[in-house]
Amino acid sequence: MSEQITTPRIAMRGISKNYGGVRAIRQAELTVYPGTVHALVGENGAGKSTLIKILAGAEQPNTGTIAFDGEAVSIASTTDAIELGVQTVYQEPQLFPELSITENIFIGREIKRGLRVDWAAQAAQIHELLDMIGLPHHLATAPVGDLSIAQQQQVSIAKAVAGEARILILDEPSAILTDTEINVLFSIVRRLTARGVAVIYITHRLDELFEIADTVTVMRDGQTLDTYDIKDLTVTKIAELMVGGIVTEKRPERSFDGLSPTLELHQLDVGHLLHGVDLQIRPGEILGLYGLLGSGVAEIAEAVYGMKQPTGGRMVYQGKAMVNKGPAEARRRGITLVPANRSAQGVFSFQSIRFNISIGDLAKLSPVKGWINRGRERDIALDLIKRLGVKTPNENQPISAMSGGNAQKVVIARQLLSTPKLLILAEPTQGVDVGAKEEIHRLIGDLAESGTAVLVVTTDLSEVLRISDRVLVVREGRIAAEFGHDATQVDILAAASGAVPIRKEA
Amino acid sequence: MRTTEKSRPQVTAGIPVAKKILPSLVTGQEVVLIGIIAVLWILLGLLTPAFLTAGSILPLLVAVAPIALIGVGMTLIIITAGIDVSVGAAIMVTSVVTSQTMVATGIPLIPAVLLSVAVGALLGLVNGYLVAYGKIHAIIITFGTANLFQFIGLRFFGSSTVNGLPDTFDVFGRGEAGRTFGIPHSFAITVIVVALAWWYLRHAASGRHLFAVGGNETAARLAGIKVKPLILRTYVITGALVGLAACFLIGQGTSTLEQSVGAGRELAVIAAVVIGGTSILGGRGTVLGTLLGAILVQTVTSGVTQMGWPSQLSDFFVGVAIIAAVGTDILRERSRRKS
Amino acid sequence: MSTTTLKRNDVQQRSHGFGYKSVKMLLTQRIALLGLLIVVVLAVMMSLDAAGAMSGSYDADYLAAALISAVPLAMLGLAELMVILSGRGGIDLSVGAIVSLCCIVFGYSYGIWDLGLFPSIVITAVAGAVCGAINGFLVAYIGFPPLIATLATFYAFKSLALIISGQKPISTIQIQDFFSAAQSVEIPVIGYNLPNIPLGIFTFLIPTALLAWILLNRTTFGRRLYALGTNDVAARWAGVDTRANRMMAYVLSGLISGLVAIVIVAQFASARPDAGVSGNGLALPAITIAVLGGVAITGGIGRVSGILLATLLVVWLNAGILLAFAGNEGTQLQLLALGLLLIGASLLNNLTRKKFGVLY
Repeated sequence: MSEQITTPRIAMRGISKNYGGVRAIRQAELTVYPGTVHALVGENGAGKSTLIKILAGAEQPNTGTIAFDGEAVSIASTTDAIELGVQTVYQEPQLFPELSITENIFIGREIKRGLRVDWAAQAAQIHELLDMIGLPHHLATAPVGDLSIAQQQQVSIAKAVAGEARILILDEPSAILTDTEINVLFSIVRRLTARGVAVIYITHRLDELFEIADTVTVMRDGQTLDTYDIKDLTVTKIAELMVGGIVTEKRPERSFDGLSPTLELHQLDVGHLLHGVDLQIRPGEILGLYGLLGSGVAEIAEAVYGMKQPTGGRMVYQGKAMVNKGPAEARRRGITLVPANRSAQGVFSFQSIRFNISIGDLAKLSPVKGWINRGRERDIALDLIKRLGVKTPNENQPISAMSGGNAQKVVIARQLLSTPKLLILAEPTQGVDVGAKEEIHRLIGDLAESGTAVLVVTTDLSEVLRISDRVLVVREGRIAAEFGHDATQVDILAAASGAVPIRKEA
Repeated sequence: MRTTEKSRPQVTAGIPVAKKILPSLVTGQEVVLIGIIAVLWILLGLLTPAFLTAGSILPLLVAVAPIALIGVGMTLIIITAGIDVSVGAAIMVTSVVTSQTMVATGIPLIPAVLLSVAVGALLGLVNGYLVAYGKIHAIIITFGTANLFQFIGLRFFGSSTVNGLPDTFDVFGRGEAGRTFGIPHSFAITVIVVALAWWYLRHAASGRHLFAVGGNETAARLAGIKVKPLILRTYVITGALVGLAACFLIGQGTSTLEQSVGAGRELAVIAAVVIGGTSILGGRGTVLGTLLGAILVQTVTSGVTQMGWPSQLSDFFVGVAIIAAVGTDILRERSRRKS
Repeated sequence: MSTTTLKRNDVQQRSHGFGYKSVKMLLTQRIALLGLLIVVVLAVMMSLDAAGAMSGSYDADYLAAALISAVPLAMLGLAELMVILSGRGGIDLSVGAIVSLCCIVFGYSYGIWDLGLFPSIVITAVAGAVCGAINGFLVAYIGFPPLIATLATFYAFKSLALIISGQKPISTIQIQDFFSAAQSVEIPVIGYNLPNIPLGIFTFLIPTALLAWILLNRTTFGRRLYALGTNDVAARWAGVDTRANRMMAYVLSGLISGLVAIVIVAQFASARPDAGVSGNGLALPAITIAVLGGVAITGGIGRVSGILLATLLVVWLNAGILLAFAGNEGTQLQLLALGLLLIGASLLNNLTRKKFGVLY
């Protein structure tokens, strides 16, 4: 990279942002040069998304300056950002499924001749764009809803480029893509940088940085540590920078020898998402499953819980082959699950805490089948509220009025109406404050002590190390590595990001 | 990974593929409908020789006109993920206001039509304003306004019918006065309106925006589309078309206007729209499909009579047609999304 | 977001004056608002009566007699409650057509085949449930939008009723005698100084409402229905069979419509094949009652008491309008009142949700 002499496309200096009393980022610095790919890495909550939102005009910084091509600018809204040429491609494509690719790209700023959309003029422009993103011309008129996720993402990028992008922000674009699709993405990115676009590339998959990035800025705890030339880095080095010198306190080492496993997975396949997954968990054991978004880690939990049907291999539960047609069947067996997306999959928002707890096992509410004994329901709810330390004046409060941590405790309580034999927790502490996180971790420990096998699926690195007896790292639908009690954050991150070849089994 | 070409019938006859700059002209649902209508007409023609004569087909087309005409507006509304169940009551209001004015003042054709259209547009404005700016689900709002419009309509009617209607609207009627070169005026106007709406939905930027609003309202707003005025406009257009359709209905009727002139029409219109392949969830639909849907419904209705079956049986077939049309659409969408 | 901001209501400590509290209660508790409106309607009508502006006397006897029209209205309101609660655009346009079809079923089984009252009632109710099951299957298992599925079955059932009956009402001697089931009766023991109440209130409405209430509030089915109406995805993750339970809501709606058919046969002493679909039909008023009663069109919110109070409000308001305005004007003003109530109620629902977040 020889153009370091040129003016930076964007220079963010001393950026801080507080939410209420909480500092999301402080004194962050980011300098991106035209024609380069600048990677931004950091753990969840390190402040990457806040920094990007400030650049995209979605948030206003409390302090700091932004210079664009050497001139100081203020980005007060997303419109301001778009006018400067800052375009963002989010993971969720903001597209219209029934409209064609061409229309999606031109929506809101169609080329018109009188009242009529000038299709010919748009087509002329679109073909150039399609060439650049590597889609065949005949797809120009295809409804976007007919495209694959990867193709939709390409359309989003084309849309951003058509909006005269001078800085293109790609927010974890590779998370949802397969390897071949990622290669297509990279060639698009290279073509863009060749045209002088500055690309800010956010990712968790550290291995791909060496293929695509020119420079890397690492964020930790709301600060930008430093910016490095990719040539000076390795996956392990980046992982070390991301996690810093923090040593998480560990649970005492425990042994489960001699106990027969609660659950075994043998060569489990789920479509093209999981391939030959083997796994064992014993009573009282806390098994951490760590994997990046799109790694297949979520599908393991869903298959065990009956939300997804395996397409190959088998599951053995308490020594017997198991097929779960649905969650209800899994729950009858004593397998419960705390879903990852609390607001979409977890809470019944305007219903009471009592309602939100008891829905987990209505049969428990009365000796007569199908009947609800309100007194018993109340007692059970109050008991769990007390056990889990849910902060609420009474059990009739709507769950929508509660903080994230308290709502999460209620969703967990729902899984504990009868002590589960196997408890699966997906992202148990996402969007939860520090105090509640502490309490939830303690609760998980207590449950394991009492003999429940606990499977924790998380993308929170410190969490997985802190509570697990054993950690399995999932990558590309396979178990990539297994770590015992002595694992470090760097080991796990490196394994999940592709520094270690995937363990192949016979 | 997936072949998108196979999931939709590509009707590209005559257009070289490389030059293709627009989505295909005709959707799968429309092809299916044309096929079904053709089969029905041929069957009915074989079974009852009288069916394929002008004496049978022309009244059929005249009867299609008002439903298809309102259907055009309803299609626009449903594409934005709205609905209007007040059109039946709005027909009553526009037709009673227009016919009473005609009886009282004897105004000629053009002013009478304009009056009816203006009254209809005003009613549409009420609906559109409440739906777009009141942020209440369209079905609730229009259930409410249906009651209000009925009240207004009945107030105009008083306790009786409107009698002694002049023959001003016979140009829209079934008779000789309603045709030029054998083509019914009302149907010809409907075809013109369908063509205009087809052009609007296919080529005008704001027409394309309707699909965007129905597909993802938030994203549409972020793309800089002014969503509320756009939604408002669809209801006003529908109201105006209701006004025109009311003129057709008066012309088709006798010299007496009954209070029941609009009763149940809203469901007939919605049936035509959904049979035509417009998704009630928004974001997808065609006016050509709606016209075909209306023709199919009317074919079934007159077919039942021609066969000498009890006329009430036609509603049963309409129900079956809705389930078949929407059912195949649901299954087709499901396989399309899955592939 | 993920950090330590506790949301305001974790411990609700804000204090407000009495005025604020009562406004909040009226807006968030639909029952309170309906109760107040009923009192206002009664007060206004009675003072009009006292001032001599009424063509008849708006007294307890009149109010009790007016309840005859509350029976089908409230029952169909309960039917709509079931399906609207189930969420995903739940609605049933076919209730009127099911009523028509079931009128004929009852007409045949009681009036023509002479199967006896109890078997006839069972057959009619089952017929309604089967109609509802068709709706439920289309909606829950095939994935039809409820509006479309029930629009289609509306046409089909309506047509079947007319075809089966040959478009002629059934009014054999048994059916004519059945009129007694719609008469007003004196309540035993305490009834001598109370007005006579239409029998249908006791034989149909109260049992239906009671069963609906028990079903929704005291059974696991009710819980599951509220759960899937509130959040269909979360219900699935919690192990609720969303399809079977959603289908059941439509079955119940059909079942209740079947029972309404019997009430209507009694009221008219005749089993008419167009009983549920003539004029504006019965679906529209039923949906109006449900929305007015505080049922959220988005699902998961709604109570039996709301339906009952909304029915009382509409019935007594209508009864008053009929006395205050002679003839046609009265029936017309009923439409105006219903339309304004519906739009007003939904605007109010919106306001409440914006201001207080929830509505019960």
